[in-house]
Amino acid sequence: MSVLEIRNLHASVEEREILKGVNLTLRSGEIHALMGPNGSGKSTLAYVIAGHPHYTVTEGDILIDGESILEMEPDERTKAGLFLAFQYPVAVPGVSVANFLRTAVSNVRGYTAQQTEAEGRSGVIGSNLMPMREFRKELNEKMKEYNVDPSFARRYLNDGFSGGEKKRTEVLQMAMLEPKFAIMDESDSGLDIDALRVVADGINKLATPERGFLLITHYQRLLNYVKPHYVSIFYDGRVVMTGGPEIAHMLEEKGYGWVEREFGAEAVPA
Amino acid sequence: MSVLVKEPEAIVHAVQGFSADTVRAHSAARNEPAWMLEFRLAAWRQFEAMPWPESTDEAWRRTRLTGFDLNQFTPVANAAGKVEKGELSKLLQAELNEMDSAASMVFEDSGLRNSVFHARLEDHGVIFADLQSAVQQYPDLVRKYFMTEAVKPDLNKFTALHAALWDTGAFVYVPANGRVTLPLQIILNQATAGVGGYHHTLVVTEQGAEVTVVDDLLGAKDGLQASVVELIIGAGSVVRYMNLQDFDHSAWNFLTGRAVLSRDADLRWIQVSWGSRLTKAFLDVDLMGAGGHAELLGIYFPTGDQHIDHQTLQIHRAPHCFSDLLFNGALKDKSRSVYMGVIQVHPGAQKTDAYQRNGNLILDPTARADSIPGLEIEADDVRCTHGATAAQVEEEYVFYLMARGLTRAQAERMIVQGFFQAVLDRVPVESVVHKLERVIERKIGG
Repeated sequence: MSVLEIRNLHASVEEREILKGVNLTLRSGEIHALMGPNGSGKSTLAYVIAGHPHYTVTEGDILIDGESILEMEPDERTKAGLFLAFQYPVAVPGVSVANFLRTAVSNVRGYTAQQTEAEGRSGVIGSNLMPMREFRKELNEKMKEYNVDPSFARRYLNDGFSGGEKKRTEVLQMAMLEPKFAIMDESDSGLDIDALRVVADGINKLATPERGFLLITHYQRLLNYVKPHYVSIFYDGRVVMTGGPEIAHMLEEKGYGWVEREFGAEAVPA
Repeated sequence: MSVLVKEPEAIVHAVQGFSADTVRAHSAARNEPAWMLEFRLAAWRQFEAMPWPESTDEAWRRTRLTGFDLNQFTPVANAAGKVEKGELSKLLQAELNEMDSAASMVFEDSGLRNSVFHARLEDHGVIFADLQSAVQQYPDLVRKYFMTEAVKPDLNKFTALHAALWDTGAFVYVPANGRVTLPLQIILNQATAGVGGYHHTLVVTEQGAEVTVVDDLLGAKDGLQASVVELIIGAGSVVRYMNLQDFDHSAWNFLTGRAVLSRDADLRWIQVSWGSRLTKAFLDVDLMGAGGHAELLGIYFPTGDQHIDHQTLQIHRAPHCFSDLLFNGALKDKSRSVYMGVIQVHPGAQKTDAYQRNGNLILDPTARADSIPGLEIEADDVRCTHGATAAQVEEEYVFYLMARGLTRAQAERMIVQGFFQAVLDRVPVESVVHKLERVIERKIGG
């Protein structure tokens, strides 16, 4: 049982505050949907949790099982059990999915540290990877399970991938890295209904009692396929309301205009 | 044929410095026929008559010869004589074992050290000979093609010097419809420090012939290497050529290469420039016949104070030809690279399809890459595109890879390797790909 806690988190970019005191707790086994209008700062929250260097945390904390991760580099956060599925995964030409993922998996599972320690060597990059045969076998199995064509192993990471292919590959990477907490940043955006189903199936398969999910989304759409335990509304850099799945339905009915009237700067406090 | 009156070493050492006498002694030591001696002497006269490149010459504006003095080198190295493969240095044995070749030749300093034939080339009329022997054994072919068609002695100061003093190198001749499936491997190790070397590669293919040739160039500590590559490609012939330059970082390296393509010929030239303190390479593809297809692909990765300059020319003389050029380089420390390229389309070369791209990845703010692409088009129905980029490693890429658990160093390494992949993907020999990957890894590491 693990807990990801976000406490009174403030973050800014170029002196402009975007996160204005976010509070949110995610436990293993929970699916928590974070819904908000465009520009409310939801994607910023995802980036800040993952440690993007562009943003500065000015106040508050992010903790995994009580340990602050704020001082950690992005790769250390991933090793600590975080995974961010990007809204717009960048294409890295010349780097094959398999080659990159083998290094990533080896790091996250501690092959590097284990072997280096066991053999008393200094960490030479590339010399302490998960054995190729073992890796291939697992990758092939997971590609099958998560509906990714085997040819993708040799293709360059996200290079020339369609929107759906990119998001499916993100889910495959998550399945290989087996995080404790997955943050899905608009994993439903730009997908047709078939691609959306594949991504949703992947999330459902991976939503085990050992794993927590934060689904960041603008629309109700993804939630038709993935049932959240909690839904929070994000507005103007904060969580303004948390409840059960009924919140999503209410938003569907009332729209984000209601959120603005209710929680916007002009809103009259009740 | 002249008569050898002294031991070769004694002849060369009797003459000091660069002079016509040095040229004579060099030729005599190799027991060359009179026509070759005359060829060398004529080239020497041309060399003497030509001025040294100056910084006002467009080709040398960005690549200065500051600190270069011909007299700092011993003009010609000795030839150590042939040995069994097992007696070669470990380094050269490793280079030989690395590649699955049809035949291999190893040169050290100015002479052939070892040759291995795995395939029965001569049964098919294929010639793979060291050029020194070829002058004796195939005088008609050598006289016909050696520096007469592709690279003439008076092309530049260094080709003239090369023509006067050429020493190592191979002659490859593939008759009509002959096919050599495995690569022909040529290794040069300029072992003695401070000497001049003049490596020559002459490849001639007849109609429909296919061959892959690899030049693997090593050594040249504190030395000079003025090499020439000539690829004369027959109609419908397919040639794959790799020039893998990994000289010592103290070497002065001047390369002039030109491929001449007949109708429907197909060339892929991979130019790798890892080593040398300074490289100036002139690389031309000359599409003489209709329907020719030429790919010129280069990679370079200067570090420290290295200076690497490639100047290319894609000449479209005939209609319906395709040429594609891609040079990708990464730069570290205080290194510098220059890329200058021209696509030249002659009148009448309609339906030309030509590309030219140069990409630079600047890894340190102290490194500098100059890129000057150019077009000279005198036909009206053509498609030509060119472009140059200089970029740093994008922080967004690094973040994405780090968010998947790669360390910053691993992420940067992978992005740099990926940058070279567009060229590596087109290297036709797998063992060469692995070798290049290892060098890239070494260069990124430090």
